[in-house]
Amino acid sequence: MRSVNFWRVFPRLSHVRRSAIAVSLAAICAIAVWSVPGVARAADSYIQRTIDRVTDFTLDNGMKFIVLERHEAPTISFITYANVGGVDEPVGKTGIAHFLEHLAFKGTTRIGTTDYAAEAPLLDRLDELHDEIERKKAAAGDSSGGIAALEAEFAALETEASSYAVQNEFGQIVQRSGGVGLNATTSSDATRYFYSFPSNKLELWMSLESERFLDPVFREFYNEQQVILEERRLRTDNSPIGATIETFLDTAFAVHPYSQPTIGTAEDIANLTRADIRDFFETYYVPNNLTVAIVGDVDPDEVRELAEVYFGRYERGSEPPQVTEVEPVQTEPRSIEVRMQSEPWYIEGYHRPALDHPDNATYDAIAAILSDGRTSRLYRSLVQDKQIALFAEGFNGFPGDRYPNLMLFYGLTAPGSSVDDVEVALHDEIEQLKAEPVNEVELDRAKTQARAALLRALDSNSGMASSLVEYQAKTGDWHNLFDQIEAIEAVTTDDILRVANATFNEGNRTVARLLPLDES
Amino acid sequence: MISLLRRFSNRLSRLFRALRSGSTLRSLGIGLFGLLTAAAIVLLQPQASAAATPHHYTELEFPPLSEIQLPDYTRVQLDNGVILYLVEDRELPLVSGFATIRTGSRLEPAEKTGLAGLTGTLMRTGGTTSRSADEIDLTLEQIAASVETSIGTTAGSASFSALSEDLDTVFEIFADVLQNPAFDADKLALAKNQANGSIARRNDDPDDIAGRELNKLIYGDGSPYARTIEYSTLANIDRQDLIDFYKANISPDRIILGLVGDFDAETMKQKANEQFGRWQPATSAAPAVPVADPSENPGLFFVDRPELTQSYVQMGHIGGLRNSPDYAQLGVMNGVLNGFGGRMFDEVRSRQGLAYSVYAAWSANYDYPGIFIAGGQTQSENTVDFIRAIRTEIDRIRNVPIDPDELKAAQDKTLNSFIFNFADPAQTLSRLVRYEYYGYPSDFIFQYQRGVAETTIEDVQRVARTYLNPDELTILVVGSSEQIEPPLDTLASDRSVQTLDVTIPEPTS
Repeated sequence: MRSVNFWRVFPRLSHVRRSAIAVSLAAICAIAVWSVPGVARAADSYIQRTIDRVTDFTLDNGMKFIVLERHEAPTISFITYANVGGVDEPVGKTGIAHFLEHLAFKGTTRIGTTDYAAEAPLLDRLDELHDEIERKKAAAGDSSGGIAALEAEFAALETEASSYAVQNEFGQIVQRSGGVGLNATTSSDATRYFYSFPSNKLELWMSLESERFLDPVFREFYNEQQVILEERRLRTDNSPIGATIETFLDTAFAVHPYSQPTIGTAEDIANLTRADIRDFFETYYVPNNLTVAIVGDVDPDEVRELAEVYFGRYERGSEPPQVTEVEPVQTEPRSIEVRMQSEPWYIEGYHRPALDHPDNATYDAIAAILSDGRTSRLYRSLVQDKQIALFAEGFNGFPGDRYPNLMLFYGLTAPGSSVDDVEVALHDEIEQLKAEPVNEVELDRAKTQARAALLRALDSNSGMASSLVEYQAKTGDWHNLFDQIEAIEAVTTDDILRVANATFNEGNRTVARLLPLDES
Repeated sequence: MISLLRRFSNRLSRLFRALRSGSTLRSLGIGLFGLLTAAAIVLLQPQASAAATPHHYTELEFPPLSEIQLPDYTRVQLDNGVILYLVEDRELPLVSGFATIRTGSRLEPAEKTGLAGLTGTLMRTGGTTSRSADEIDLTLEQIAASVETSIGTTAGSASFSALSEDLDTVFEIFADVLQNPAFDADKLALAKNQANGSIARRNDDPDDIAGRELNKLIYGDGSPYARTIEYSTLANIDRQDLIDFYKANISPDRIILGLVGDFDAETMKQKANEQFGRWQPATSAAPAVPVADPSENPGLFFVDRPELTQSYVQMGHIGGLRNSPDYAQLGVMNGVLNGFGGRMFDEVRSRQGLAYSVYAAWSANYDYPGIFIAGGQTQSENTVDFIRAIRTEIDRIRNVPIDPDELKAAQDKTLNSFIFNFADPAQTLSRLVRYEYYGYPSDFIFQYQRGVAETTIEDVQRVARTYLNPDELTILVVGSSEQIEPPLDTLASDRSVQTLDVTIPEPTS
């Protein structure tokens, strides 16, 4: 579900920058406005020029590459997209995709160690000891004297193994070489690894990134487990909205694994083993399940030559299993209530089809008309006129969009208003959308804004890399990043009426109310 | 505070977008390297041929990057004092601009905390003397353009973004918003209601509590650099206050305007003159900037939140300015402590598994002292160990010279990624404006680069000993008193733990 990052640094000092990121993200995601015919059409030739600079190729082993040349600055952005996320996790092993993502920063047999030959048997022995301790605990309850001795041995061995490890060496090589933005995220749908280099380091990326997944060593497993449990406490257990969303998804999806928390349950995280990670890696990190995008100051021919040399080393694997669960049509409303130390939030979601459905653009237009900007219906009504919400919006693709997902709405109560007030006002707007065609001016606004948002995204290497790879992986063709603009252009007011009536029904709704502890 | 509210709603939308897919990056170096945010264009020579066999990274050699070239820019001053920076960037049919305004919330009276923020918000949302707010919203959004305004602690800001075909329309609204705000009473009521709502929500996130309260402890409760908007200060603000604050603070002689994008500089200069040239300068001098007078509350402070299973720890003391002669050396010290291979990350996170997020950094500001700040989150029972682990690293960098390789790594991180400060002309533009606003030399970033390159092992130890005072740390923990074991007072041999009450004061009336 939620996407979780490998790391964060100086959280407090980053407020300003974080807001800036939010704004630009919003701009990229935003799909919103208008059309006097021809408005923002000036964008088209620039968009076409970008399309003309995109090339793609597939290695013999099935690994796909997309390359966009941009020579405005001597920098290159890279993203490796593994088509695996929380949705692919077996029951009882939630959190494994994200755990693997963390361990993908731990190095290889040559990076992150001073002596792998000496280190390897220690890592194996640690796993054996761990299993033994767990077995004894299960058998003897918690009072066996033998366990303490084993735990002492485990701790000593861990210290010994750690003496061979070079902490975070992979990341340090990247940063020392001028790499910026190094991070990774895991969501329900996918795992992404990314950073940028000055353009004289193309081959360095090829070397480091290919070795990273050719020859990974999942060292420091047990310490990282503690780090991830801390991450879960931070994002979920001690976050009122994080905890609410976890319960909400579990309620909204009865069958489909979009119900599962990507960070994993605390119990599952604690029970995962190195062998589990290895199995998962070998199943899903086959080259035919990986896509790379490279954007910036590169020569596509050189990229291809190098990719064949470096990533051609991977052996094609079996096609990974696909999610087969199909969420049944929801016919009865569902709701949950969560009480935590927080002011109230109202949340509701409606099931909708996946990203590749023909109505996707119509859903985007609906989200834009309801949510984008000060002219949007939810802002005008709930925030500005009725003043019952501090903020309200609806958006698509929750918790992912590779599979049928939710259109999610939420509102934060304003002083003196209740979640019920927000619910009623939100439903007024949704019913309005079902009862009357939207104004052509509103729809045109959404169309113009979609086109302009794409134009504004063109000058970001990392942003384009991320978008190209996502459309390739999820729709099978990166061109859909650009074609979506035409799809939105084609949306009519009748489409919106039809889709709104098909979607926004009580029986298809799941509600979550987050309420303060002291409210009775 | 409205900027607060906007930040809040941005955070919400960020939160949800993060929950949905996955791109909330928190970038490294925000504090220190924030200064390194900027722009320019250099074309690299095509790279030499590809290898026929794969190489381990240690076997690779790289051609040097060519010299950084700054984009051409024009600086002019209009007769009324407006300073104008122009940078042409023809890559896309877009124009954007921003005004930096010599004002700030630090100039508002304490009993009206929130006034500057409200003024900044209402300049945009309150309409102008000739255009209603709703009309502005509709005009801009229909052409996918934006105009926004805000006032922060040390400066005001107005910005716009437009397709170049709509430049005239948008630039005229931008100029109107800056010069003729109407401060519509209904929109003020809306903004105040929103501000009240964000006060009510300010304790929902434990990290926010920690940051806010640590600031107050270090700068002082009533300091313009730490005080917070309250129901009572908000109630003291009326429409006339906004008008007065605007009149006293916003005038052409206090504005630096940066414009970048798809335009001819000469033509754009004329447009700027047409839109801003008739604006009358202020007759009085700009108000003096208040001096930060830190109150320094060393010791242990605690906010009890029984429901938490983690402790949110922030510790720090007063820091310094960016124009300190030791700023670059302190930047290198930050690099040794943070990032991949940094001591905090390697030791406290990876080796000890105590936290997902941990940091310790000297953060400097342009014209008032920043703070040295360290912290992170850890499960309740590890709270004391976590604080000790951080303290150990602070002591170590003061008492033991760093390794030559650590020095080199920290320098490499900054120097080898330096080009990313010049990846876009807008970066150079915003840096030029910022430097002029705060009175810094225009080549400040290059001075910093040289300073980093020249830093020695002895420098790092010297600045760590000079600037980090572990005995003066204010340590603040937001967590559960029942679950923190051993208790916090294990850390306080000579001082007791002081509990802070963060209950939000109710409106008085």
